Parts: sequence; structure tokens; C-alpha cells
Amino acid sequence: MARIQLLPDHLVSQIAAGEVVERPASVVKELVENSLDAGAREIAVELEVGGKRRIRISDDGSGMGKEDALLAFDQHATSKIRDFEDLQRVATLGFRGEALASIAAVARVELLTAEAPGEGWRVRIEGSRVRSVEPASRARGTTLEIASLFFNVPARRKFLKQPRTELRRCVEVVQGYCLACPDITFRLSHEGRSIIDATATSADGEGLRERIRQLFGDQLADALVELPAGGAAGESIRGFVGKRETAKGRRLFIFVNGRLIRDRQVLATYYRAVRDEWKHDEYPSLFLFLGVPPEDLDVNVHPQKSEVRFRDASFVHRVSRVLREGLVSARGEEAAPLREAWGAAERPLAWSGLGAVSEPSIHETAAAFDTRDAGADAQSGVWDWRRDGRQKIAEAAYDRASPSEVPLSRGSRDRAVRILGQYKGAILLLETPQGLLLMDQHAAHERVLYEKLARAMEAEEPKVQRLLVPQLLELSPSERLQLDSLVESLQPMGLQLERLSGGDLALVGVPAVLSDQQALSLVLELAASEEQSTDPAALKRQILESVAADRACKAAIKIHHALPMAQMEQLVASLFACDDPYSCPHGRPTLLEMSDAELERRFGRR
Amino acid sequence: MEIVVSREELVAELALLQGIVERRATIPVLSHLLFQAEGERLSLAATDLDVSLSTGCGAEVLRPGQLAVQAKKFTEIVRALGADEVRLTLAEGNNLAIESGRSRFRIRGLEAESFPTLPKVESSSELEFPLATLRQMIGKVLFAISSEESRFQLNGALFKATDSTLELVATDGYRLARVETDFSGAGAEGLAQGVLVPRKALQEILRFSGEEPVRFRRNEHHLSFRIGDRELISRILEGTFPDYERVIARDHEKKPVLSREALQLAVRRVSLLSGERARGVLLRFEADLLTISAANPDLGEAEEQVVCRYDGEPVQIGLNPDYIGHFLGAIESNEVRLELKDAESQCVGFPIEDPEGEAGDRYLCVIMPMHV
Repeated sequence: MARIQLLPDHLVSQIAAGEVVERPASVVKELVENSLDAGAREIAVELEVGGKRRIRISDDGSGMGKEDALLAFDQHATSKIRDFEDLQRVATLGFRGEALASIAAVARVELLTAEAPGEGWRVRIEGSRVRSVEPASRARGTTLEIASLFFNVPARRKFLKQPRTELRRCVEVVQGYCLACPDITFRLSHEGRSIIDATATSADGEGLRERIRQLFGDQLADALVELPAGGAAGESIRGFVGKRETAKGRRLFIFVNGRLIRDRQVLATYYRAVRDEWKHDEYPSLFLFLGVPPEDLDVNVHPQKSEVRFRDASFVHRVSRVLREGLVSARGEEAAPLREAWGAAERPLAWSGLGAVSEPSIHETAAAFDTRDAGADAQSGVWDWRRDGRQKIAEAAYDRASPSEVPLSRGSRDRAVRILGQYKGAILLLETPQGLLLMDQHAAHERVLYEKLARAMEAEEPKVQRLLVPQLLELSPSERLQLDSLVESLQPMGLQLERLSGGDLALVGVPAVLSDQQALSLVLELAASEEQSTDPAALKRQILESVAADRACKAAIKIHHALPMAQMEQLVASLFACDDPYSCPHGRPTLLEMSDAELERRFGRR
Repeated sequence: MEIVVSREELVAELALLQGIVERRATIPVLSHLLFQAEGERLSLAATDLDVSLSTGCGAEVLRPGQLAVQAKKFTEIVRALGADEVRLTLAEGNNLAIESGRSRFRIRGLEAESFPTLPKVESSSELEFPLATLRQMIGKVLFAISSEESRFQLNGALFKATDSTLELVATDGYRLARVETDFSGAGAEGLAQGVLVPRKALQEILRFSGEEPVRFRRNEHHLSFRIGDRELISRILEGTFPDYERVIARDHEKKPVLSREALQLAVRRVSLLSGERARGVLLRFEADLLTISAANPDLGEAEEQVVCRYDGEPVQIGLNPDYIGHFLGAIESNEVRLELKDAESQCVGFPIEDPEGEAGDRYLCVIMPMHV
């Protein structure tokens, strides 16, 4: 018998379905897009068990006749593309023609649709097989009910997360369309509980601000500045950027032609604009809506259409200009910080001569003096500490002729390391039996301090400062769901949240190591981050680490800082005693190795 | 412009203006002072766009004129001069010549027109109160103003007046200080709801001295404090101040009374071991005895006992020692009373001005507890 067989049709469609339908949220996404394309003014989403058991989407769009209703479930059936020409200017949201067919391949689907009142059809499909088609009554529009998602694909079903997580993802999807289409009413409920209830506003800037208010609350809506109009003919660049106080949480939303995307290029442009205009790297909220002619956009990069490619490279420059202008006005009346005309780029390891070694502290000066020839100075009787001190520091740092040997060990990892010296006040050179090690002194010290701090903080019972007035948190529906599930786990860490009526949350106590604003940022970040663990131990570590990493970085020795030998030895020894000596808390490496083999190869000895 | 002024008088006004000039000004002209010579007077002004001060001193004006002058350099120069009189002459190209004794300086200035126009606060009604009273009140709440820039509505104090009282309240979310004093002046309607005065304006008022009263006016966006010839104008902080009356607990029944100085010193000593990252000390009250303790896994433990007057149930509470210190440092009474409920509820501190009277209730400081 032949080993290679053709896959049966239903298996092919199940596999294809996997590309489009990954989880309830992807079903919601496809169906909301279909509703929007059908011209709906009102879209209601009802979910059960996070959408795993049931997803019901009803709209008041154009609806379908009997033929269309059946054809809709065929592979690559779509009302939107007829030939290759059409593919070049896809203006509608759903286009791959696989959505409904793919969903029908992995769920029990019931479609109820009517082009006009009284002319409706009900179609039942289960795992791609049409079970029944019958006339039914309905007002104009379409209702799709997707039950038992992945009932016939156990492997997929196993990969679904807890209902809470799946629900949050669905809410995020609907939230995205809420923002993209403020002139359309959206409702989302879960097992009868209303989560999103956003009545239509208008499609202009103020309508959008109202929509943001409906979802995120007054605080955010009032702290947004409208971007100036921009873009060349046929393009549009609009939206809002937040003032300084919105730089908490991660509320960055980018839409291209009405589609919420996570485009790295646009995000990077935004980050750069903030760093340039505001001179810091806390990013304020962003609601950015880009419109380009469909033929200038390649959306077919990713099956979930979450990434796009702009054909006109200069478009991103225009986006950047608008963002910068917006950021300038969001910063307030204060004029732009004057940029130095020839702002020296920060080149951490650039050679700036021995003279540029940073001024030694008293402690180090003393240490450096210990290494010099005491007799010579005693004879001269005159002691010009400035001149003399600097020279000796330089000698201490660079001309040490007697490297010392530090045998180090930790657990089973025995290490013999000899310190050769310090390179340009920044990098320690270490000789090991295997080769040459370069150690970044700042990163290494950061790691050492960080582990010490994290251990100390973990051992300590957290002190909790109660707040005089509870701080009401303004959260979007998806953020509220996530944070609500974390309330109990955050308690032992000193982040005390109180549940108020109506599902609101308020911060009532904060860890005493943080200010209330830092704690607030942390809470908002936890609420908005995408993959949030609810395990108390993991959460605790996450919080401690974010606090400790920040403090360690500030306290660590900087580069261009000459170290006496005793300090180098101490640093090397403490680094190798760390749990993870190989990277600083931010993930940059502390050590680079050049093995003997590598050196020999480069010198042509091998 | 050509004038002759007394160096001493000029230095006194420059010291006041220094408090207004923005040190990290991003708009160059804001690091300047506006000079205007006219009649018998040299008028001086500084602003950071939120708070402005206009003042001046008598001068022999040989030629009127105006110029914006770099504040820091000018002040340094005038302070350093040796002679009693200073001659200031506007030279071409917006330069200012400073001559005194045998010293001659020439510094670059900016056109007076580039200096922002200061807001004018016109109002039909005016309040008047003693400067000393206002300064005393500010001193009692200044420490509680939040320095967290993002909580802009807490970056100032709430200033309220009725026909019979003046009130000043500040909070940073962890503690709250409130002071009230008798005041007899009609026309306080504009302040019945209270206005938020930025910290910088309050700090500037603390720099003023003298016997002259403060004449106060407001309009929709600005406040004006006139003291003699000087006028401090401040933008009103926008935002809603917390509903503090509701927050202050009035029904705590545990009320130990103790010596202010003894408590202050003991807390200061014990707090040496209260930890560097999160400072907290534990206060335990039993019959006539307070035990203050602190423990820190890295450092060790500390404990001190202080005698007090207390006959209630034992109670303990964790507090930030800095907050206790700020409260005790802001008052002068010999004794203080703390009102407590339990470890979860706020501690309200009062000075006891006079064991018989109720006067102490006019000042209070709420401190939120810390789980230690």
C-alpha cells in the first residue's frame, strides 16, 4: 500500500481553518469584520464560557439571500474579490474568503440571515456539512451562532486557555473595532453580563474621543490631544496622543484602514518620536488611525492581517512628522527643550583619552594612592593632589603590571580567572583557561546589586502604605477583566485593590517601597500586559524584579570609571556568585568570551 | 535707560525674584528679569508662566527705558559688588552696563518686548490678612503637598475663607495637614469653595517679611497677593481636591497624649533602623507607655519607650517616621495628642496649645498607617 495518501477534504479544511481560526477571539474578529462589511450600524456579541461554548453575533447589515447564504461557507468564497485585479485593492476588512468556511469546518454553525424582513433563511452547518436549510423570519441583518468551537479538533481545543483569558481576548478584539468605528454601536456581553456597551457617536475626532471615554473613562479621554491632520493626497493620518500623565499602562492602538494592527515599523516610529521630542522613554497613550489607498498597502502578509506593509516608504516619514507635532502640543505650553546644535551622540565606549576618566571618589583616590611608590612623593614634600591623583588613577587603571589571580568557585562551577586589567574604564579583561573574557562593569555590577536587592526584598514582609483617598482605576473593559482576576494574588505583595460596585477597582494600599504613582503605573501595566501570569509567586517575582532592576541600574557603577584592583576582584567574585551571571537585569550580556580556539583561528594558527 | 539704585535695596528684591525664576527654563526669556525704569522707580518682574512676581525699588532715573536681563548672572554680580550704589545703563544691542565703584560689567540682555505680559488680576473685592498669619499657616501644611508631578491637583494647597475663618489644606495621598484660623473680614465669597494655590506661590510667600498686610484678590484663573509694592500673581491650580472633610476620622476613641519633643527624638532614633527602601516604625500604646520599634532584616532592630498619658485599650499602628517627623516639626506646642482606632485606620495628630482649651483642634495632621 502506498505510504503517501491524499488527505480527505474535511481534514484539509480543518488544517486550513487553523490558519484563520485559532481561538474564539479569531472567530469574533472574522465575524465582526463581516458585519462591518455588510454595512451594519449595530453589532452585538454574546459569549458563553469565554466563547468556547457559544459565540453569537448579530447585526443589522445587508443580510444574504439563500444562495449567498450557502455559498458563504464554501472555501474561498467571498463577495469581495473576483479576480487578481480586485486583490490589489482590497478595501474591505475580511477578504480571504476563508473565514466562514474555516469556522464552519471546526464548529457547529447556525446562520440566520435576511435581506429584508420576512425573507430570511436559517442554515445549520456542522463540521462543513450542511444539516438543514429552511426559511425563517428575522429583521434585516445576520445572526451567526458558533457553538462548540473545535468540537471535532481535540488538539486545538486543548490549546485553548481558561475561559477568562479567552474572554479577555474577545473583548480586546471588539474593543479594537469600537475604536476603529466610533459611529457604530457595539455591545458585548458574557453570560448575560454586559462588558462593552458603546453607543454610536460620530466618525469625527470628537466622536472618537467620546468612544475612548466610553471605553477608558474620563481621565484618559480628557488627557488626549488630537493629532494635527497630515498625510499626502489620498492618505489620512489622524488620532490622539496622550499627555504626560497617560504614560502608564500600555495603551497603544494603531489602526490601518480600520484594522487594528501591531505594526513594528509604526510602533518603532512612535517610540523614536517620543524619545526625541520628550527626551524620555515612557510612552504616552496613542490612538493612531492611518488610511492609505488600498493598492498602496499589502495586508496579505499575515493570515490574521495583524501586520501590513506600506508600498510608499515615505508614508512612515509623514506619520512620524504628524506624531512629533502631536507630541509637541501634548507636552503642553512649555517650549521644546532646546536641542544642542551638535548634540554629541552617546557613544558609550568611544575613546576619550585617559583624561576623561571620571573624577575619582575619595575612596578610590585613596585606594589608588596605595599602589604608588610612596617614597617618591615623600621626598618631594609637595603634594599636588589634583595632578598627582589623576596620574596615579590612570596608572592604577591602565598600567598595572601585576595582575592578580582570583580563584572563584560557585557550586560545581569552578572558575579560575585572572584579571588582566580594565579597558577604557569600562570593560574588565579576564583570562580564563579557555580564553579571554570581556566583562561589562556596569552590567555586571547591575546584576550583582539586582540579585542582592531582589533577595532582600523577597525575604522582607512587604510594608504596605494605606492611601488616604482610594484611587479609582480607570480601566478599559479588557483591562478590568484582567486586573479583577489578579486582585487576590496582588494582595500579599502589598498592592491592595478593592472591588467596588459596578465592577470598578480602586487602589487602597501600595507597597511602601513604591510611590503611589509608581504603584499605579505598575497596576495599569499588569492590567494591560498581554501574557499575564496569575500565579502569586510568579507575580511577586515580576514585581520585585521590576523594582529591583530599576534601582540596581541607578546604583550600579557607570562606565568611564576607573576601578582599583581590589574593586575589580570584588566585582568579578560577586558576579560569578550570582544565580545568573551572564546578563544584566535588562537582558544585556555581562560577559563576552573570546575562546583560545577563536583567537588561534583569527591569528591563522589553525 | 540709565539709573542709579542702592545696591542693598536691589539685592533684597533680587532675593525674592530668585524664587520665581525657573532654573531649568526651556524658554530663554524665562531665566530673565524684566527691568523697567520710569519716574522714580525701577520695576522688576520675574515669571515662570505659572507664578509671577513684580516688585521694584526706588531709583534715580536719568533716562527711562526697559530691558530683560539674565537673572542669575545679574544677581551674582550685584551681590558681589563692593560699593553702595549701582549705575545701570542700557547700551546698544540690548547690553546692560553695570557700574559700581571701580567695577564695570557689560552683560547681554534681551528685548523687553520678548518678556511675557504678566496677567492682571482685577477684582471688585479684596481681602486683607496679616502676613505673619498666612506664613504660619503655610509652614504648617507645606510639607504635605505632593511632589508627584503627575498628581497636579495635589501640587498645591487648598485655600479657603469664610467670613470668620481662613483655612489651608494639603495632602499627598498618604497624609493630610489642615490648619484653620480666625479671620474677620467680609467679602470672602470668592474663597468659600476654596482655590488651589501652587506650592511655588506658597513658598514665595514664606520669603516675604515685614509688617505690611497681605491684600488678596482673585479672578477666574489667577490669584494676586499684594504685600506693599510687591505683587505675587499665581495661576490657580486646576483640578479637584479630594473631599478631605469626609476623609478625616472624627470618632477615634484612643487618644494618647505625649510630649512632642520626646516623641520626635525617639522616633528619629528608632527610625535609624527602619530600613532604607521602605521606612516604617511601629508605635504600640499601652497604659501610659508608648513603645516605638523598628526592625530590618539587613540591619537589626531598635526599640525605645516614651512615657505618655493613656488609659485606653492597647493599640498599635505602623507609620512612616518621616511623616511623624514632618507633623511634629511643623508645630511648636509642648504636647501632642494622637487619635487612633486600630492598625488599619488613620492616625490623627493634634498639637495641644493649652491643656484646657480647644485651640489645638485648629490644626491637625492625618497620617495613613503602614503595615509594618
